[in-house]
Amino acid sequence: MTETDHPARLLAESVTLGYGDVPVSQDLDFAVADRAVTAIIGPNGCGKSTLLRALGRLLRPNAGQVTLDGRRITAIPPRQVARTMAVLPQSPQAPPGLTVADLVARGRHPYQSWYRQWSSTDAEHVDGVLELTGLLEQAERPLERLSGGQRQRAWIAMALAQQTDLLLLDEPTTFLDLTHQIEVLDLVRALNRDHERTVVMVLHDLNLAARYAHRLVAMRDGAVVSSGAPDEVLTPDSLARVFGLECTVIPDPVSGTPLVVPIGVADRSPSR
Amino acid sequence: MTDSPARPRPAAPKRRRSLRLGPLTLLWRTRPLLVALCVFAVLVVAFVRALLSFDDYPMGSADVVRTLVGGGDSGETFVLFTLRMPRALTAALVGAALGLAGAIMQSLTRNPLASPDTLGVTWGASVGAIAVIILGGSTGQVSGLVSRLGVPVGALVGGVLVSMVVFGLAWSSGLESTRLLLVGVAASLFCSNLVYWAMSWTQVQEASRAQTWLTGSMHAADWDRVGPAALALAVLLPLSLAAAHALRALTLGDDSARGLGVRVERARLLLLLIATLLACVAVSAAGPITFVALAAPQIALRLCKLAQPPLVTSALLGSALTLAADQIAAGLFTVSLPVGVFTAVLGAPYLMYLIVRRHREHHL
Repeated sequence: MTETDHPARLLAESVTLGYGDVPVSQDLDFAVADRAVTAIIGPNGCGKSTLLRALGRLLRPNAGQVTLDGRRITAIPPRQVARTMAVLPQSPQAPPGLTVADLVARGRHPYQSWYRQWSSTDAEHVDGVLELTGLLEQAERPLERLSGGQRQRAWIAMALAQQTDLLLLDEPTTFLDLTHQIEVLDLVRALNRDHERTVVMVLHDLNLAARYAHRLVAMRDGAVVSSGAPDEVLTPDSLARVFGLECTVIPDPVSGTPLVVPIGVADRSPSR
Repeated sequence: MTDSPARPRPAAPKRRRSLRLGPLTLLWRTRPLLVALCVFAVLVVAFVRALLSFDDYPMGSADVVRTLVGGGDSGETFVLFTLRMPRALTAALVGAALGLAGAIMQSLTRNPLASPDTLGVTWGASVGAIAVIILGGSTGQVSGLVSRLGVPVGALVGGVLVSMVVFGLAWSSGLESTRLLLVGVAASLFCSNLVYWAMSWTQVQEASRAQTWLTGSMHAADWDRVGPAALALAVLLPLSLAAAHALRALTLGDDSARGLGVRVERARLLLLLIATLLACVAVSAAGPITFVALAAPQIALRLCKLAQPPLVTSALLGSALTLAADQIAAGLFTVSLPVGVFTAVLGAPYLMYLIVRRHREHHL
């Protein structure tokens, strides 16, 4: 894995995160492995999305700081951050009738200004991204007429049009059926492998996380419980700690990565 | 898996070119551009018609052209430059301000029901203006100065105050919430009742002056009203076009906009302020004219087939609509109606249509 080869560019340093007075995480440290795919996993409400939002500058920490390339992220002009790091929020909304090409074009925002609202460079990048995400044929179609997977790819395409090295994705596969989940994750993998992009994503499906991420970070109650390669994090012990669920872990017959097989109450045989 | 060799390659994408206007470069879009030109043509026709009619004074197109270049007799000059021209210009400017204000508010809230009328700004501005008209009249102030400065300032103060209250109260639940509209409607009702209450205890003379103004009227248009409105629009229109860039990102939601590098709070406040000021300018020049700000952006949006109301086209369409409505209201019945009454009659069913449509979209 590539994770130890490069120093982290994006760091959360003893951050306290929350909405209003309700703290979600306290004194949390987190380093994003550079040029790797990191998946944040954990039960609902464990603070995964909150951490991602803080890393993506969508949420200001109540204490501590997030740094990007050694600088406090709130001290960097927003447009410059947006040229270094793209964030795809959870279930984003587009106005009805917005076409794929128009959505992707909005990803060029950080490179534009109030007087220079479009350039031939913008056009080239939009075309390039549409091709990369396989959406050329859908370019002029409104988002609501696409399949769930295509729509999610269009949003990722918008983030890609920002031409950033870092990509943060908040639950990019939620509400997608399995085929479309794989479609999106294959794209993420290609982006990392062929374009050396650093990806951090929040995922619910542990087995897909293990298959597509180089590094897993398991959270519970706002704290990081364990992190490392998938086979270090997805052990019956740590799964019991993180999810409070009894599991057995076997090698994935396709990829060899850990495959989590949960054991419900009804599945427990008396001999166990 | 066999890839059939005959599989057609996806067509090369249409390269999106840019449109240069001096220092400004915009994305070239053929259809919206054509629509804007067509609407502009309609606006010109409506404006010319306004110069030709409105009153019974016999003046053909040849007379109008002759008077325009300075060759008319004193009667013709008076009719054209003191009666018709200010009225047509007021209608055009007010309509543009309303169309633009509506387009900004609808984009910002992502709600086709949002407009200065439904969010209380129009009525807030009316309270301010009416207060000046009534108080200024009864305390015997110099009426010329009061109407020139007092009414616009009163409208501005009232409109901005109500806008602050409405958006302030709804801010926490997000601008896209139904709460915003509910608060806005409540503020509208409150302010309109305040106006009627104020009128019920004033003297007949002030009340009737206020009443004419309140129904949204171009009768009283004169150069004193055209000047400030034109000046305000000359400042606010370029500002809106500059802010349109951030507005495009804001329609994707706060988080996405922040991810794109927009300073969300600042941009939103600026846009709200621009829209509110535009509405106040319109109200102070012609009284509360409803419907235009609500409908023009939606019509422009549908004509252009875009996802959010185009600002310039909405302004042009608002202009054309107001000019046309003023002419129809003046000529349709034997008694010439104030344009505000006419647009209100058009607006009510349109608003109901929007509400029903939105209701269906959300519940089916």
